[in-house]
Amino acid sequence: MKQLTFIILIVCALLMLKAAADLPDWADPASPASTHLSPDFLEQGYVETATPNIVTVVLADYRSYDTMFEAVVVFAAALIVMVILRHTPRKRGKTILYRPKREGRDTILQGAAQLIIPVMQIFALYVVGHGHYSPGGGFQGGVIFGASFILIALCFNLRFAIQRFREQGVLVCVAGGVLLYAAIGAICQVMGYNFLGYTGLASILGASDVMARSYGILAVEVGVGITVMSVMVSLYYDLASSGDLDEGL
Amino acid sequence: MLLNTVVIILMCSGLVLFLATTVGLLRFPDFYSRVHAAGKGDTLSTALLLAGLILYMLRDFNGETLLTAVKLSLIVFFVFIASPTATHAIIDAGYEARVPYWSKTGEKTDAEHSIPDESVEHRENR
Repeated sequence: MKQLTFIILIVCALLMLKAAADLPDWADPASPASTHLSPDFLEQGYVETATPNIVTVVLADYRSYDTMFEAVVVFAAALIVMVILRHTPRKRGKTILYRPKREGRDTILQGAAQLIIPVMQIFALYVVGHGHYSPGGGFQGGVIFGASFILIALCFNLRFAIQRFREQGVLVCVAGGVLLYAAIGAICQVMGYNFLGYTGLASILGASDVMARSYGILAVEVGVGITVMSVMVSLYYDLASSGDLDEGL
Repeated sequence: MLLNTVVIILMCSGLVLFLATTVGLLRFPDFYSRVHAAGKGDTLSTALLLAGLILYMLRDFNGETLLTAVKLSLIVFFVFIASPTATHAIIDAGYEARVPYWSKTGEKTDAEHSIPDESVEHRENR
């Protein structure tokens, strides 16, 4: 069986290498991507979407299918970790945990956390919202926001964090972000445009076609941000308590 | 001219402290003193370097440079909070995991614990 796997892998690798020989050279200026796609993105990006950051335009507008399924991959990762680790009343774990009790010795950490966490969360919202103009966007802002919850769990304790952001809420956010993304696409389709063709939002928002695409990008980034944020929190809850969601690190 | 001198002094002292941090991190004998060197030197030298940069930014004073200076001073502020806190947390974790102290006689002595043994809980199969 192992040899069979090995043979299949080698055959696949040879096929890939054979196919790669036909690809255009790395950074070849005459390749189709460099002669058609890139100039078009660079020249038309701002005209079509009123968004100066071309990376955001390509990520959330021209290639928004790709980004949507990236968000779905993140969502699936959270679900799989939960399926593997999370204990139900019927399935108790047999893990041995090293759990220091450290009540009353965290004053310094808590004080610092109280100073830093609000700033972190506001900065995360800024990164999400400013993705149109500067590096940033849903993934980065979501990671910063999720890290602020992990910091709460580290500096206080896991129970304290779970009281404030309960598992049900986390899961609703995990699914809700992806659903928000897909819903934007579906609304566009209902309005008679392509799936995720943000021009369809124009008549709903009462904006011009170009501005509608800008708003569509923002809404989609918010969806991605919500998913990434809550997936990080969900992964941390499950990993830190090895599925108990009771007490952890 | 005076401003330039002050900036050079600030940046150079920051660099010297960074060097001291690196030497301490590599040469100190045990976990606690190494982390202490890293935490202290890192914080102060970052603050000094950024203070030099802030002064240099403000040599022609207008709204744009002021904005940059405010951003830099925010970095100083957060490094000043976060770095010592992280050092404290790391050392506390090492203390709790009973990382041995260094002593001059050469033998590594266990951390003498004020925390009683029961405080560390090994649990199995709740």
